[in-house]
Amino acid sequence: MWPLILLVLAFASSALLAQYQRKPPDFGGTYTFPTPTHPEPRASVERALDMVMLGAGLGLGAYLILKRRTRAGVVLLSIAAIAYFGFYRKGCTCPIGAIQNVTLALVDPRYLISFGVLVFFFLPLVAALLVGRVFCGAVCPHGAVQDLVLLRPKKVPERVDRVLRWLPYVYLAVVVLFAGWGLPIVAEGGKALVGRRFLICEWDPFIGLFRITGSFHMLAIGAGFIVAGMFYGRPYCRWLCPYGALLSLCSRVAWKNVSITPDKELSCGLCAESCPYDAIHDFQADRASCVACARCYDSCPRHVKLRRGQPVALKLYRRSQAGTGVS
Amino acid sequence: MSETTTRRQFIDRTCRVIGLTALGGAAGLLARRASAHAVFQVDPVKCTACDLCRTSCVLSLSAVKAVNEFSKCGYCRLCPAYMDVTSQPDEKGIPSGKVCPQDALKRRVVGREDPDDPNNNYYEYTVDEARCTGCGKCVKACKPPAGNGSLRLEIRYDRCVGCNECGILVTCPSTAIVRVLTPGLSPTAAPGGEPHA
Repeated sequence: MWPLILLVLAFASSALLAQYQRKPPDFGGTYTFPTPTHPEPRASVERALDMVMLGAGLGLGAYLILKRRTRAGVVLLSIAAIAYFGFYRKGCTCPIGAIQNVTLALVDPRYLISFGVLVFFFLPLVAALLVGRVFCGAVCPHGAVQDLVLLRPKKVPERVDRVLRWLPYVYLAVVVLFAGWGLPIVAEGGKALVGRRFLICEWDPFIGLFRITGSFHMLAIGAGFIVAGMFYGRPYCRWLCPYGALLSLCSRVAWKNVSITPDKELSCGLCAESCPYDAIHDFQADRASCVACARCYDSCPRHVKLRRGQPVALKLYRRSQAGTGVS
Repeated sequence: MSETTTRRQFIDRTCRVIGLTALGGAAGLLARRASAHAVFQVDPVKCTACDLCRTSCVLSLSAVKAVNEFSKCGYCRLCPAYMDVTSQPDEKGIPSGKVCPQDALKRRVVGREDPDDPNNNYYEYTVDEARCTGCGKCVKACKPPAGNGSLRLEIRYDRCVGCNECGILVTCPSTAIVRVLTPGLSPTAAPGGEPHA
């Protein structure tokens, strides 16, 4: 009985509404009704280009860092990465954020993960297993911004660094939790207070810079990291980046890694002094924390770089030796 | 360098192989479910034009714009989305105030123009996207029975940056923003939107 009455009412109300629908008159052929324009989303060609640029950046980075061993080349590549992945693509899609998408895809089979996001997540990790943290050194726009603003690198005390070094893993666990399941805190109204959130995207320090707009907290965090990055090298990379935690795990067992000296070690320690990230231990690049910035090469006396007929690093080495009284 | 493998080298090599296999396996598993790219879209049936599209988009000028579906529009002279019917009438008795705070809803005369009574005409209403902030006031005013419901809010893909997590999707009170597959954009294309709380 009731369903029938409701059905009749529904038909009646739609009929009433239909009588309110105003139709334009027949303009008699003088006017054609336009169709609203619908701008196309990003073409698949452009999305393919993103993946090609990522692969090219990683390949070129590996070549410049491991083969050519040139800091200048890495700087140029970083600037290109900031221009393309940073300002042009506005920092999105990035491998750091892709952690969340992959987590969600593994947890929830309904989630539509894009093929491009998969490439962005897995390709730098595979590269790290093969050639170390080339992504950090040459391709990541976040790292490049911090690397380029570095003015006077200060050393962080060992005790502090020992604690901070664990933060990326903690943050990784937190973002995986929030992306996959969220925190099931329910407010009075029955609606979940903190459900699934993409924390990395919400708290990314540099995305406000790349979008040139953002909420106050994002711009403030960005400014904070840039100022901190002027004195303590790559604070986000070393002490927060969850993707860096994954890359560091892969880089430990990398097939090829940064070898500072081209032939023999002098145990002079000039490389360790030049490294702003405390990534050189026992006169070798620490495979977990070396971000492949290529600064150490120029400080090695064995790395011959001729300027006015004399190797620069050799001059530095002789000067340091003269200071200690040893000729 | 000795010819035999050191223990360190063996461990490294094993871990590398395990790592590559694990990454490759996970990538393959997910690639089988990978879609073409998905974009965000407003479901006009669920949308309540609550003004959050204007403020929740990460861009300072929101990527959400009002769009007029001309085939549904009444081309009325007393458009409830164009003129604020509660405002002071002018000397001809037509409400003088505009609904759109940015004056982004424009109109032009179509058909025969009445020279004696300029308001007794039919008008084509279009949205000036450079001015539209996506506040939805016109959309709300156009809803039946006051209007035909031809105006709706739409995410414009030449402006939408395509964030990983749409800022508006998170705040929308009527879960009107869904992720849909491209190509073939339509609100019913996706097998279930993003399962946000």
